[in-house]
Amino acid sequence: MILLGKIVLGMAGTAVAGVGLLCSEGFVQVKVIEKQPQGHHINVIAPALLGPIAAHFVPRRDLANASEKIQPYLPTIRVALGSLREADDVVFVEVTEPDQHVRVSKSGGSIVVDVDDPGETVHVSTPIRAIEGTVEQLAAASPDPH
Amino acid sequence: MRKRVQVATVLCLLAAGAVVTAAPALAAGPERYLHVKVEDASKGESVNVNVPLSMAEKILPTINNHDLHNGRVTFHHAEMNGIDVRALLDAVRTAPDNEFVTVKEKDADVRVAKANGNIVIHVVDKEKKDQTVDVTVPMKIVDALLSTAKDDELDVAAALHALSDAGDVLLVTVQDASQKVRVWVDSRNTQE
Repeated sequence: MILLGKIVLGMAGTAVAGVGLLCSEGFVQVKVIEKQPQGHHINVIAPALLGPIAAHFVPRRDLANASEKIQPYLPTIRVALGSLREADDVVFVEVTEPDQHVRVSKSGGSIVVDVDDPGETVHVSTPIRAIEGTVEQLAAASPDPH
Repeated sequence: MRKRVQVATVLCLLAAGAVVTAAPALAAGPERYLHVKVEDASKGESVNVNVPLSMAEKILPTINNHDLHNGRVTFHHAEMNGIDVRALLDAVRTAPDNEFVTVKEKDADVRVAKANGNIVIHVVDKEKKDQTVDVTVPMKIVDALLSTAKDDELDVAAALHALSDAGDVLLVTVQDASQKVRVWVDSRNTQE
């Protein structure tokens, strides 16, 4: 009985540690609300760590083309993401038109894009660390990484 | 009595911790932001851009494209119609406050002056519904632009750094009947 308890405790601990690790990078949120009467409401919240993990398991040959294209811009992307991570929360760009509103901001370690137009409302939030992880996975997929 | 000493010790430790934690932030000074605001009242449109200057300072040297390398812009003498830009800016920098250029024409007025440590350019375009353009460039920025050793280069990264030390400054305003553009630097991360 004690052995069974230890096994259950071990499994529960592993599960909690796994969930903790999965959630350690924060969450990606994509929310789309269509404004039509029968419009869809989509709200996806996924652990941000899935991005770099998914990029890791994509066959390298499939990422090679994108990876080569990104190579010249990697120093700029790395510095930009690093300084974004260190920056205070700020609205970088806000465009307002009579029927449309677009906002790109940094909020609590995430890049947030909000679009509100007559057809739909879109909200996308991605942790910067997850973007960095995915970019590094993409960079590593190059046949000749710098 | 002993309890008071313990409480005082804990408070001193907390205060010391707070000072140690806050010191780097205080030394670095508050973040400064470059703001751009474009408004078109007739169309009800507006565009607001806020860029932390420290971020721009770090990113700029990594961009190597065309004439921009390591935060420096190379200009070609052939494109300047024989004008020595560095010599011109240097002459303005060393000159006392004065009005350098005043042009009054049927379709435009132009005024270029140096005042209170700034180069001030004022243009009124009478053909475009009395569009006015005002540009103010602190001399510190000009000095920074000219801080490179090469004659055909302007150090934009150094200018950005100087801009972050220059205090709150309104750099550019453009205004006509319906549109208004403002570019300025301050330490607030919003445009309100």
